[in-house]
Amino acid sequence: MLVQEAVQEHLATDAAEKFNAGKVIIEHVSNSGLDHPLLRLPHVLGIDFSVTKHVLMLWLVSIAVFVVVTWTVRRYLKQDRPLPTGFMNALEAVVEFVRDAIVQPNVGRKWVNTWTPLVLTLFVFILCANGIGLIPVFETLGLLDHWVLHTAEDSFVKHVMHGGTTATANFNVTAALATITFGAIIVAGSRAHGFIQHWKNLVPHGLAWALYIILIPIEVMGMFVRPFALTMRLAANMTGGHIAILAILSFVFLFTDIFGRAAAGIGVGVAVSVPLAVGISALEIIVVLVQAYVFALLSAVFIGMAIHAHH
Amino acid sequence: MDNPLVQPDPGLFIWTIVTFLVLLTLLAKFAWRPLLQALENRQALIRKSLDDAQQAKQELERLQQESAQIIKAARVEAETIVTKSRADGERLREEMKQKARSDADAIVRNAERQIQLETARALQQIRREAVDLSVMIASKIIGRNLSKEDNESLIEEALRQIETPRH
Repeated sequence: MLVQEAVQEHLATDAAEKFNAGKVIIEHVSNSGLDHPLLRLPHVLGIDFSVTKHVLMLWLVSIAVFVVVTWTVRRYLKQDRPLPTGFMNALEAVVEFVRDAIVQPNVGRKWVNTWTPLVLTLFVFILCANGIGLIPVFETLGLLDHWVLHTAEDSFVKHVMHGGTTATANFNVTAALATITFGAIIVAGSRAHGFIQHWKNLVPHGLAWALYIILIPIEVMGMFVRPFALTMRLAANMTGGHIAILAILSFVFLFTDIFGRAAAGIGVGVAVSVPLAVGISALEIIVVLVQAYVFALLSAVFIGMAIHAHH
Repeated sequence: MDNPLVQPDPGLFIWTIVTFLVLLTLLAKFAWRPLLQALENRQALIRKSLDDAQQAKQELERLQQESAQIIKAARVEAETIVTKSRADGERLREEMKQKARSDADAIVRNAERQIQLETARALQQIRREAVDLSVMIASKIIGRNLSKEDNESLIEEALRQIETPRH
């Protein structure tokens, strides 16, 4: 009956203004605004370094990943006879999968140990950042605050309520991750062939000079298109699923508004919204995995292309 | 640019890079590199263990073959020994039998010769007795005693006459 209460409360408080699905959905997907940051930090060189919801999520994910992975690995290595047990088995499967199925086929045996840590960190970090967006942590915290905690209007809990949970749905975050890949490509090419040779490798040598007039701009464009594609693919995939789930759940409130009765909204919710949202959430689990895999795989492919520049 | 979904946020961009690089450095140092090293070590250990097991198996097979050969050789040798002993025993028995037989023969021959000798001696004695008796009887009949030389020559002649027809 919590839903009913919530709906009636919503009707009571916002009776004057109609339910605005677009506004609510955007609010739940985008970052919390820079005008209400969680922690206000000074501008440096005109850039606002204030800690917003997505920065907080990045930190939480990083700390969780670091603590869990390092603790597991340390505990495993501390044994006299290193036998993988419990969670170590899963971690080992992930590490071996990334090393043997993603990194090694692309960068080759010689460079596998150089680039596996980067690709592994990309994979695990993106996977966890994607995955935490599927768990309604802050929605639960909001309900708890609404009925149990009753914190003040300006409290940290109220601030944390604003903005989406999935940092990887923000293209600023994915652009930064793609920039890491972009830098890694240059570093990989430079370490394998030398800095100058890496740039020469961008275009095939020994062609007629006229072709280079066309080729060089194309290859330079390609150099930037790859990280751009990485950026957009991850951010759009993460945003899309959440928007779909939120839009379907909005039916509950839209129908309540249209018919003016909570029962209509709840009926639609039980009959349509919740089953559909559950289905899309299940699909989202796959998307979360696939997008983390694709980002890691493409990063490894691009790094491998810089190392094995066969022109 | 009102839409917060496409709002550029350089602060967040730089925070992401910094956060990720810190996480990468820490994880690489404390988790990934030690773990990758451990995985490689374990792979080497497993390969070595398998090789060792293979070697041990081959060694065991070799030892088994060797011991089988030794057992076979020992069996052959034992058989030879038994055969030889049996032959030796047979020969020994044969020899003993032979020896016993020849001993017995010797004894018998000895006894026969003894008997012949005794018989011969007894005959001679009988003959001498008979001669003596004959002489005594003859002297009695003749009534006079023959001289000793006569006696001797007579006896000799008589003895020759007796023996001659027998030869």
